[in-house]
Amino acid sequence: MGRIGPVTAAPYPWPYDGAADTAHTALLCIDWQTDFCGPGGYVDAMGYDIGLTRAGLPATARLLAHARALGMLVVHTREGHDPDLSDLPANKRWRSAQIGAEIGAPGPCGRILVKGEPGWEIVPEVAPAPGEVIIDKPGKGAFYATNLDLVLRTRGITHLILTGITTDVCVHTTMREANDRGYECLILADCTGATDKGNHDAALHMVTMQGGVFGCVATSDDVIAATTQ
Amino acid sequence: MLTIAAARPAAYSFDLSTTALLVIDMQRDFLEPGGFGASLGNDVEQLRRTITPLAALLAGARAAGLTVVHTREGHLPDLSDCPPAKLHRGAPSLRIGDAGPNGRILIRGEYGHDIVDELAPLPGEPVIDKPGKGAFYATGLDALLTERNIHSLLVTGVTTEVCVHTTVREANDRGYECLVLADCVGSYFPEFQRVGLDMIAAQGGIFGWVAESTDVLAVLPSTPVLQPSS
Repeated sequence: MGRIGPVTAAPYPWPYDGAADTAHTALLCIDWQTDFCGPGGYVDAMGYDIGLTRAGLPATARLLAHARALGMLVVHTREGHDPDLSDLPANKRWRSAQIGAEIGAPGPCGRILVKGEPGWEIVPEVAPAPGEVIIDKPGKGAFYATNLDLVLRTRGITHLILTGITTDVCVHTTMREANDRGYECLILADCTGATDKGNHDAALHMVTMQGGVFGCVATSDDVIAATTQ
Repeated sequence: MLTIAAARPAAYSFDLSTTALLVIDMQRDFLEPGGFGASLGNDVEQLRRTITPLAALLAGARAAGLTVVHTREGHLPDLSDCPPAKLHRGAPSLRIGDAGPNGRILIRGEYGHDIVDELAPLPGEPVIDKPGKGAFYATGLDALLTERNIHSLLVTGVTTEVCVHTTVREANDRGYECLVLADCVGSYFPEFQRVGLDMIAAQGGIFGWVAESTDVLAVLPSTPVLQPSS
């Protein structure tokens, strides 16, 4: 076990309480799924450049190894729906159809965003290790309709380091949920990515306003450099 | 069913009987000098431009018999519902709970915590007190909307990229159809106002739709066409 902090971060050295015990800090890896960053997945099918959503994979893989070596809790999340689509809101389905990638429809990587399909799986670069927690979520936020909050509180987690895709959608929604629940959050600029670079940058900037309204922004190097065993 | 053709990214349709007007955090602490927003160094005038169009929309919604729900961000006087990370981070000139010109900052029951006079709730209109940025977490909002069979939300209030965005994200995950009214939401930062609205309508409307309050007023009936829900 070790300690992380103070991390060089914006807008304040993270965390607010000086340093986080690695026993009370979790690394969140949000939605690193083929559907969002792999060829033939949902985002690819919508016509976006997956180079943007894959950009954070090398840094995340390196940080994942660092966190595992420290014995930190690692939590992976996956967005997806049951095969009968019983947990898919009608408007979410309708909107995905409007842009040509209807959730539940067949695609090159199986049915889009459906649990158990190849496109729904986490990409190999940051695949979960045996025993690591995986949270399946029906929405953008990882707290709504999941047991994530219970898992974190049961493990005594108070601080979260966020990686994943996409910055402005699932990562931001999850960070907002976590912040309201009192978790001290750090989002990593080099371990996230969005379908639009402008939205990635704006989402990170928003975090830093108002004295850190949702927490802080840093890089994986900043976290590794601020770790003591 | 009413339709707003001018909404982006596509036309937005809603039924009066299953729609609520949500007015988020139009509190003195965010909108008036001497409040929490000002203590963080913000120019409250950036938010005050929303008051006039929102007052007109509120009047129209009430005349049409729409459900109206107000929210307020704030904490209990003993701060027992304020997470330490929220209380202690940053370096504002006034922290939550400190005494300010309008009473203790963001504390329930204080003058500054209440909604501005222009948009004061009418008797019987629900007011949701929330400890966070999102109006769904740790509140009865979802149960209230479910009980009234509400599926669509006309979203207004402040600030665009913080409490409005967090609440719209929560609502969207819960299956509500959100129409955000650009002239009735405000940010201290013009850049975040623009990008905040763009993010909602991006990717085919990943969080919802965006339109102007005048688009809504143009389709609302001027007299109630439904009985208020019990």
